[in-house]
Amino acid sequence: MAGETAAVSMTVNGKPITANVDARTLLVQLLREHLRLTGTHVGCDTSQCGACVVHVNGKAIKSCTVLALQLEGANVLTIEGLAAPDGPLHPMQEAFRENHGLQCGFCTPGMIMTAVDLVRRKGNDLDDRTIREELEGNICRCTGYHNIVKAIAAGARAMRGGSTTSKAAE
Amino acid sequence: MSATGIGAAVRRKEDRRFITGTGHYTDDINRPGQAYANFLRSPHAHATIKSIDATAAAKMPGVLAVLAGADLAADKIGNLICGWMIHSKDGSPMKMAPHPALALGKVCHVGDPIAVVVAETLAQARDAAEKIAVDYAVLPAVADPAAAQKSGAPQIHDIAPNNTIYQWHLGDASAVEAAFRTAKHVTRLDIVNNRLVPNAIEPRAAIGDYDAGTGTFTLWNTTQNPHVARLVIAAFVGMAPEHKLRVIAPDVGGGFGSKIFIYPEEVVALWASKRVGRPVKWVAERSEAFVADAHGRDHVTHAEMAFDAEGKILGLRAKTIANLGAYMSTFSSSVPTYLYATLLSGQYEIPQIYCEVDAVYTNTVPVDAYRGAGRPEATFVVERLVEVSARELGQDPAELRRKNFIRIFPHQTPVIMAYDAGDYNASLKKAMELADYKGFGRRKRESARNGKLRGIGLSTYIEACGIAPSQAVGSLGAGVGLWESAEVRVNPTGSVEILTGSHAHGQGHETTFAQLVSDRLGIPIDNISVVHGDTDKVQFGMGTYGSRSGAVGMSALAKALDKIEAKAKKVAAHMLEAAEGDIEFKDGKFNVAGTDKSAAWGDVALNAYIAHKFSGQELEPGLKEGAFYDPINFTFRPVVTSAKWKWTRRPVIPKSRRGLPSTISALSSIR
Repeated sequence: MAGETAAVSMTVNGKPITANVDARTLLVQLLREHLRLTGTHVGCDTSQCGACVVHVNGKAIKSCTVLALQLEGANVLTIEGLAAPDGPLHPMQEAFRENHGLQCGFCTPGMIMTAVDLVRRKGNDLDDRTIREELEGNICRCTGYHNIVKAIAAGARAMRGGSTTSKAAE
Repeated sequence: MSATGIGAAVRRKEDRRFITGTGHYTDDINRPGQAYANFLRSPHAHATIKSIDATAAAKMPGVLAVLAGADLAADKIGNLICGWMIHSKDGSPMKMAPHPALALGKVCHVGDPIAVVVAETLAQARDAAEKIAVDYAVLPAVADPAAAQKSGAPQIHDIAPNNTIYQWHLGDASAVEAAFRTAKHVTRLDIVNNRLVPNAIEPRAAIGDYDAGTGTFTLWNTTQNPHVARLVIAAFVGMAPEHKLRVIAPDVGGGFGSKIFIYPEEVVALWASKRVGRPVKWVAERSEAFVADAHGRDHVTHAEMAFDAEGKILGLRAKTIANLGAYMSTFSSSVPTYLYATLLSGQYEIPQIYCEVDAVYTNTVPVDAYRGAGRPEATFVVERLVEVSARELGQDPAELRRKNFIRIFPHQTPVIMAYDAGDYNASLKKAMELADYKGFGRRKRESARNGKLRGIGLSTYIEACGIAPSQAVGSLGAGVGLWESAEVRVNPTGSVEILTGSHAHGQGHETTFAQLVSDRLGIPIDNISVVHGDTDKVQFGMGTYGSRSGAVGMSALAKALDKIEAKAKKVAAHMLEAAEGDIEFKDGKFNVAGTDKSAAWGDVALNAYIAHKFSGQELEPGLKEGAFYDPINFTFRPVVTSAKWKWTRRPVIPKSRRGLPSTISALSSIR
C-alpha cells in the first residue's frame, strides 16, 4: 500500500545497509534514490532494456522489476562495486573501453553486469552467437552491438583464471 | 604530430566514468529540497476539455501543487514555437498554431500534457495525477496525413484550414513538365516513409531550479543544444531574460535528433519550480516517451522519374504530404522542405526537378528531425525510383546509376545545392568489388539449386553534412545562423581547456576535440579537457545535430588554435629575444629559425601569465582565444551501400490443417 514503510537490510557492494522504504519501492529506486548509486540506470521501466541490471546473490537481475523488500538479507552488487574504487578496473570494464563497446554510456553498466553474469554461467570462451542471444534483454541504441559483442568475448577471455565476481561482493 | 593527435588510436577519455557507473546523466542529479513532477496526459487523440477538477488531487499526501494550462496562461508563460519560417507557394507564411506547454481548452494528440502534479515524492505525484478529474468532449480525429486535407476531415487548429500548414514547392514546374513530355519512359511510384519513434536509451529528463534571491533559473536538461534551449525558453516562452536562465546539459544518453527540440516538460519544470519554491525534477517513463518525444519521418509521396531513350534521366517530380503531427515542433518545418527536397538530385545529373510538399496537422505526436532529417527521406524516394526504373527499363541497376552519375564538379543541382567534389563512380566500383557484384548471378543460381533465394541491393546517395552555412540556411528561413563557437584557454601550467558550443550525447567529443588540440600543440590529450553543455561556462553555441560537430565545431576550434599559436609566438619571441617572424612552432616547441634556441610549450604558457616580464611590450597578458566558424557550404558525403540477403524457402504446415502447406520465406542469414 502506498505510504506504508518498512525497514529492509541487505549488503550492497560489500557494505551492510538498512533503509526505511515505501513498500512499493523497487530495488533500482533504493539503489539510485536512497543510496545514491546512480550507475544503475532506468531506460524503460518495463524490464525490456537491461540498463538496470545488477547482481543479486551472484545472479544478474533487472532491478526495476524487483521490490526492495523482497531482498532482505541479499547480497547486491552494482556497477560501482564491480571494481574497487581507485584500483584496477574489472576485466570486463576494461574490455568495453579497449573495444569501444560504448558510445553514450547509458546502457553500459547494465551491459557489463549482464556480461559478467554470462561468463559465470557459460564460461570464458563465448562465441558471437551465444553472446548475441544472451544480450536479448539488453538494448543499446548507439553502437549496433558489434563492438559490445567483441568487448564481451574479450572480457570473458580476460576473466579466465580470475574471479567472476568482484572483490566487493566476496 | 603528437602520439595522441589526429589519427592516433587512443582510448576515449569519457569512457572511464561510463564503465564505472560514475557518469552524470540528468536523472543522476539531485538538488537539495527537490520535488517531483508527474504529468497527466490526454488519453484521447482529439477532445475538448470541458473541465479539470483537481480538488481531490490537491488533497493527496505530499502534493505541493496541481497546475494546468490556465495557470500557465495566468503567469503569462508563452507558447512553444517552431523556429524555421516556411512560406507557401502563394507567399503566405506557415500556419503555426498555438502550442501551450499544458493544454488550454483542447487536446490534439494522445499524450498531450494537460496538468502537472508536483509532490514530495514521485510516487505521490503519480498517485495524485490519477485523482485529477478531466471532463472531455471527444472529437473525431485524423491520423493519416493523406486523409487530413480531405474535405470533411476533423479540423485540428482554427489557423490551418484543411489542416494544411503550408503548400511549399521547389524547382521549375514548367521545365519539368517539358522534360517529361519528351520522355521515352516514365517510372511512377507511390511511397510511404513510415513514422518512427526515436527512443534514445536515456529517457528525456529536466530539473528546474529557481533561485528567488537572484531571480535566476537553472535547467538541467537532456538536450543536444543547451544554448538554443535557453534562447527559446527565454526569448519566446518568456520564462526569464536570457542572462537569468542557465541551461546545463550534463551527460546525455543518446538523442538521434529527439533531444534537439524544446519541449513542454522542461518549460513546466522551470515554471513549477518558481511556483512551489523548490527544485522540480521530471523524468520520462519509456511509455511516456512514446507520446511525448517528437517522432520522425511520416511522409506519403508520389514520385516520377523521366528517361530518354538511352536511359539518361531527364527529370524528377515528387509530391509529398508530410505529417507534422498535432503541433509544429521546434524545427519541424525545415525537415520535409529544405532538408528534403534539396537532396532529391542524389548523386545524379538530373536536369530538372520539381517538388511540392504539403505539411499537415494530424492528431498524432509532433514530428521533427530524426537521424538524417529529411535527407534519408529524399534518398528513399530517389533510390527507389532508380531501382524500379532499372527493372522497368531492363537495365542493370548499377549500370543505370553509373550512366547518370554527376561527373563534373562543382555541380549545381536544380534544387539549391552545389556539390563541391566527388567521384561517385569510384565509390560504386569499390562497393561492387567488395560485394562481388559480378559473381552475384552465379551465387544466385547456386542458391536456387539449394532451394534458397538470394537478393542484392544497392543505394548510392548524398548526405549533406556539417549543418550549416548560415548564409544558406538564413536565406531559406532559418531563425538562427548555424555557425559554431570555440574557446581555448591555456593555463599557466600549459594544460588546456577547450570550450565548445557543440555538445556530445555519445559521439566522444571529449576525446576527438582533445586530439585536434594535441595534434596542434604537441601536448598529450590527458592535459586537455573539453568543457561543454553549460550556458554559464560556454559562450553561445549551436549544439550537436546534422553531422556538424566535427565539420563546424572542430573548425571553430582550429581557428581558435591558430590565434593561440600566433599569440604564443609573440610570448616565445620575447622569451627567446628573437623577432616574432623567426619563431617556428613544431611538436610542442618554439624554435628560433636557424638556431638551437627553443622554448617548450609549458614555459611559454607560464610566461604568458608573468606579465611583468613584458613591461613596455605591446602584449596583453594571458593565453586565451575564441573563434566562431561559419562554413561556406555543406559537406557532401557520397555513400554507397550494398546489402545482400539469403532466404531459406521452407514449407510451413498451417496449424488449422485445413489448407495445403504454404511457403514462407524466412530470413536465414545476412552475408
